[in-house]
Amino acid sequence: MPKTQSWYDRIAALFFFGVGLFFALYARRVEIGSWNEPGPGFLPFWAGTTLCVMAVGLFVGSLRRAGTLVPPFFPQIDSWKRVLVTFLAMVVYMQILNLVGFTIATFIFVGFLVKFIFPQTWTRSIIVAAFSALCARLLFINLLKTQLPRGFVGF
Amino acid sequence: MVFTPVNLLLCFLGVLLGTLVGVLPGLGPTAAIALLLPNTFHLSPVGAIIMLAGIYYGAMYGGSTTSILVNIPGEAASVVTTLDGYQMALKGRAGPALGIAAFGSFIAGTISVMGLMLVAPPLAKFALAFGPPEYFSLMLMGILILIYLASGSILKALMMAVLGLLISTIGMDSISGVQRLTFGIIELSDGVGLIPVIMGLFGVAEVISNVEQGIKQELVTSKVRDLLPSLQDWKDSFLPIIRGGFLGFFLGVLPGPAPVISAFSSYALEKKLSKHPEKFGTGVIEGVAGPEAANNSATGGAFIPLFTLGIPANSVIAILLGAFMIHGIQPGPLLISQHPQIFWGTVISMYVGNMMLIILNLPLIGLWVKLLRVPYPVLFPLILVFCVVGVYSLNYSFVEVGLMIGFGVLGYIGRKFRLEMAPLVLALVIGPMMEQNLRLSLVISQGSPWIFIEHPISASFFALSLFLLLSPLIPWIGGKRKKLQEKVEGEDI
Repeated sequence: MPKTQSWYDRIAALFFFGVGLFFALYARRVEIGSWNEPGPGFLPFWAGTTLCVMAVGLFVGSLRRAGTLVPPFFPQIDSWKRVLVTFLAMVVYMQILNLVGFTIATFIFVGFLVKFIFPQTWTRSIIVAAFSALCARLLFINLLKTQLPRGFVGF
Repeated sequence: MVFTPVNLLLCFLGVLLGTLVGVLPGLGPTAAIALLLPNTFHLSPVGAIIMLAGIYYGAMYGGSTTSILVNIPGEAASVVTTLDGYQMALKGRAGPALGIAAFGSFIAGTISVMGLMLVAPPLAKFALAFGPPEYFSLMLMGILILIYLASGSILKALMMAVLGLLISTIGMDSISGVQRLTFGIIELSDGVGLIPVIMGLFGVAEVISNVEQGIKQELVTSKVRDLLPSLQDWKDSFLPIIRGGFLGFFLGVLPGPAPVISAFSSYALEKKLSKHPEKFGTGVIEGVAGPEAANNSATGGAFIPLFTLGIPANSVIAILLGAFMIHGIQPGPLLISQHPQIFWGTVISMYVGNMMLIILNLPLIGLWVKLLRVPYPVLFPLILVFCVVGVYSLNYSFVEVGLMIGFGVLGYIGRKFRLEMAPLVLALVIGPMMEQNLRLSLVISQGSPWIFIEHPISASFFALSLFLLLSPLIPWIGGKRKKLQEKVEGEDI
């Protein structure tokens, strides 16, 4: 169901209020200080408080107006799958880098995304993944001498 | 200094890499510099800045190539180039359009470099009179101007700036040495790194947005030939280029999305001055020459607030400010006197870089066309690999890679909620300086916030800030802002 911009603004206001409150409360633990002698918590406290006040303003303002309809959060039915899978693939890539090393992890990461996000044939996916992993290895490890994880296979 | 073989090579590499990334649809100069910044860490400060400046205007030029050839602006400032540039390409005149964009950028770049040389040194001398209150007010004004020009709600843009300010407080307090919000994570002691934030907000979020929409690529099939504009093309384009050069420079000095605004303003100006305004949008060369000159010239103008006041005018310059700091250089009024080699090195390299753009781009256009044929489903995983490697290689830390993914999520969701990312980035970059100057000002004044009003220069900055905040309430100015917003609506500033 399409939502209005006001609905989005209310959610954003709650997020900002939470963040502002967190910083303002945390600032008390690191000494706010005084106006004469501001401490390390001075700015986080006042900026956090200001953010909370502005979030209340945004929330109240969003309640007052009807708001225009905005396009759906995901433009296509399967958009959310592509977004979620890409983010998760990045997290997994980060996790397996240390384990299997940069070259193999890159092969798996690129191959997976090419095969499953905008589905390509297995042959094309493997060729692209292998070519990308080798080129990335040559560029980053051999040419730019970047210290990237080698993993248990040392590759 | 610039004319050493190493610096010339770096300038060339910067222009080449910038053009390469700028050509890729969906990656603008902000993402280009963010992606390539880690590769400059092992260079000398002068070399690194020369290379980064090259990436900046290389990406600006690369953006126009995609506008002309495939009707996809490589970056926001090239949106207006699609109007006549793509129409020229459809008529088989892609070559002259690309050629005039390159020559126009070079001529306008020359105007802007000369302006930078003339304006920056006296302005820096004036800024030497600044103390902590003046600096604080000036930085506040810089953020507020960016917020004022942001598309959408001023309140939400303000909130993003405060969020950036809060994120900038994470890490060790520079005055007391107290750890703030680090939760025992060593990597956070130095604060939340700019690069993971930028790469996440602009690089990863951009790729994910494209993935979400299932980007459809228009493949270039025709051959691009006759790159040199004809005599008639030159006659039609010369004055628009000169006008665009001056207009872009003066708009570039102002904080905000200057390259975008100057390109649109130049297009409007040329249409107004033209004897055949009805032909604009059908493929007239003036519609390419003026805006391309203006947006290139604006990049030079945008360096002025950075070099003289240490304040970034837009998100790209904010990254460059971060790069200066990473190399141990504090931009500001003392930069020209203390590090003349950096200032003059950058100025001259801009000139050399503009020349290289012509030498490089005219013969390499065929290569860029081939690059545009690489299908996005193959390209996007590689961009993500580049992001991960770029961030990881900063400190060999997976915490920073995690931060980048986190900010990627924020950037992606923020777009849905129409939240501006530029105020957050600007506040994150200048947050530590703002905090330090605020606290010093309060200590000097023994707790009186009136110090910001009592100092005349600071008071004038404060008055302007207040005016900007309240101006949407004045109908006439509010209307002007709305018009400006419509021009830059939805664009990455």
